[in-house]
Amino acid sequence: MQRAYSRTRILLALGVILVLIMADHLNSPTFAFNSGQGNVQTALMQRDESACAPCGAPCPSTRD
Amino acid sequence: MAEAAAIQAGASHPGWQIDRFVVTTALAGFALVGGLVWLETAPFMVVLFAIGTVLGMALYHGAFGFTAGWRNLVVKKRGAGMRAQLLLFGLSSLIMVPMLHSQAGLIGAVAPVGTSLVVGSFLFGIGMQLGGGCGSGTLFTVGAGNIRMVVTLVFFIVGTVIGSMHLPWWLDQPGFDPVPLVNTLGVSGAIIAQLVGLGLVAWWVNRIERRAHGSIQRNELLWKSQSHGVLRTLVSGRWPFTWAILILAAGNALTLAISGAPWSITFAFNVWGAKALEAVGVNMSQFEFWTWDYPAIALKDSVLTHIPSVMNFGLLLGAMLAAGLANKFNEASRNRPEARQFMAAVVGGLLLGYGARLGFGCNIGALFSGIASASLHAWIWFACAFAGSLIGIRLRPFFRLPN
Repeated sequence: MQRAYSRTRILLALGVILVLIMADHLNSPTFAFNSGQGNVQTALMQRDESACAPCGAPCPSTRD
Repeated sequence: MAEAAAIQAGASHPGWQIDRFVVTTALAGFALVGGLVWLETAPFMVVLFAIGTVLGMALYHGAFGFTAGWRNLVVKKRGAGMRAQLLLFGLSSLIMVPMLHSQAGLIGAVAPVGTSLVVGSFLFGIGMQLGGGCGSGTLFTVGAGNIRMVVTLVFFIVGTVIGSMHLPWWLDQPGFDPVPLVNTLGVSGAIIAQLVGLGLVAWWVNRIERRAHGSIQRNELLWKSQSHGVLRTLVSGRWPFTWAILILAAGNALTLAISGAPWSITFAFNVWGAKALEAVGVNMSQFEFWTWDYPAIALKDSVLTHIPSVMNFGLLLGAMLAAGLANKFNEASRNRPEARQFMAAVVGGLLLGYGARLGFGCNIGALFSGIASASLHAWIWFACAFAGSLIGIRLRPFFRLPN
């Protein structure tokens, strides 16, 4: 049975995703906080209990 | 040069083959991302990452596709997939509605009811059939190596970002605040009302199947695989629907208990797309959506601290692992899709993304978690997305997609 994919492409694609995740993380407040930098607001529990939808949208009744 | 991918796993299981490269790569990815999450965030995020992985395996091994289930009912007049979804919603409703109203600090998947919801879910329904999957379906098929679904996912992300730019305008159109059924019916009343609603949908599905075929195939109630033993089925699939239903229901309930909110998928696509635009110099805070507290903080901080993103990473790797164990990684892409099929992925992906943002989520965040939270918006989402799906099914032949 012939393989339906290229191993190199799979590793390349996963490598690119990992690099993007790392680039995002290294520039984040959480990484700064973990590196000992103070006065940084991290967002581990990102929830807004006042929001009206899971995406954080406000309630229609509160909009002008 | 191509080579044989399948390697005999063991002499004790003749014919049982796994793809060792894919399995090893998925496990390495799991260890790497899980390790990063562990080092940089908190232990509960690792647990959510692991739950995402198991959910990805359940979706793949259970072949739990919302899109195909709806299409099978419309085209083939077979309702097993649809009934499996209804069973999942009913079970989750029984577990999660009492949880949400007995523990402080848990937030259900509720959302406003109005123009935005109706238009968004209708567009999402069309996109499901053209793109070839919903939110979870797109992710688990990408994890399993489907090339066309990678195109769908990319344009799904583009669509969510465009939708986020337009959502404030849509919210200003006629609509009203969320309607949690518990507020008017109480916990027991809301659960009973939802079970009656799901029962009525099941009755309608059965009626369609019985009229077309004279009887009903109860595939959704099977507990055992008809071809293999329990262990082999557990590892390499295909799971009976009942297994997937139990795992998906437990996964969503655990997500609620651990993270404080039910399972959702598509908001992560929003964040990924917005981060990509910011990386090329676009100031996202010029758009109202990205000034709201939750989107603003999610955009600013690491994806490793963002629960839907971390669970999505797990889901992708779980589906990859499952596809490797089934020795079917990238199997769907063995025949290269035609140009029109790629065009369907582009159009479908954009509709999925735009619709998900306007409709406050996908089949998971709006429908599954919405019904599990006893929110009226989930029922409206269900009806409108199904109506949109009927249009999408009619459009599929134009894009040379089989029905």
